[in-house]
Amino acid sequence: METTNNTDKMLKGFFSEQKQEIPDNGFSEKVIRKLPEQADHSWIVWIFAALGMVISIYLGITLGLVQHLLTVVQHVPYYYLLAVVFWFPLVGSGFIYFIQKKHYQLI
Amino acid sequence: MMSNTDDIRWVTQVALLGDKNAFDKLTCKYQSSIRRFFLNLTMGDGPLSDDLAQETFIKVYLNISAFKGISGFSTWLYRIAYNVFYDSARAQKHYDDIDELAIDNQHQTLNEFSAEKMDIHKALKILRKEEQTAVLLFYMEDKTHKEIARIMNCPLGTVKTYILKGKEKLSVYLTKAGYGNN
Repeated sequence: METTNNTDKMLKGFFSEQKQEIPDNGFSEKVIRKLPEQADHSWIVWIFAALGMVISIYLGITLGLVQHLLTVVQHVPYYYLLAVVFWFPLVGSGFIYFIQKKHYQLI
Repeated sequence: MMSNTDDIRWVTQVALLGDKNAFDKLTCKYQSSIRRFFLNLTMGDGPLSDDLAQETFIKVYLNISAFKGISGFSTWLYRIAYNVFYDSARAQKHYDDIDELAIDNQHQTLNEFSAEKMDIHKALKILRKEEQTAVLLFYMEDKTHKEIARIMNCPLGTVKTYILKGKEKLSVYLTKAGYGNN
């Protein structure tokens, strides 16, 4: 049992000494250049987005949600709405900042 | 540290949208380990291992929708690499016709990793091809027995036997060569 462990240790040591990272040196770029062109499937995203929007609008109108929302908005003081609108860039910037931070941490 | 979640996200982007940027990220992440795997299997033939690695990544791109996610993306990638290597070996009779002297010369002139790799290639040459693959995947690429069985498409017991036999042979070889005595 001990011999097996020693052998394992020796082999792990030997292989880890030989293990090295190979620098990319343009390899990935070469692979990407050689990839065959494939049909662009991004239309799937747009189809589903459009479908989702149509369903939302339809349900909003038939269930009276849009009318209800408009009524609510009409009763809210305009400076409240302005304050909400001004918060968008701040919240958005904060969100992007955290995403970028996470991205750099991953790299 | 990039996680398996990133792999799944990139694979999905490639499979659904044919997103080459996502595929570039996968290639950058795995190029080193796949090229190292081939470099050791081809006994240090740098140009050949780069060609095989390139073929592997192109096959991955073309067949990415066949990835079911049962095993990790890395295991699936190695499985394709393993198939590419053995297809190439069968087609070119690589093992039988290999000109060791030519490879050694090429190795010394073209491959910057050559000097330190000579020992490992000499050691690997004493093993059978299946033992080489199993030992490399286990000790060099840190794959588990189960993952190696998936990569080599053989029973778990067979993989364990390959590794055990490889271990025994390498142990004798390295001890004789004086490894670990310093």
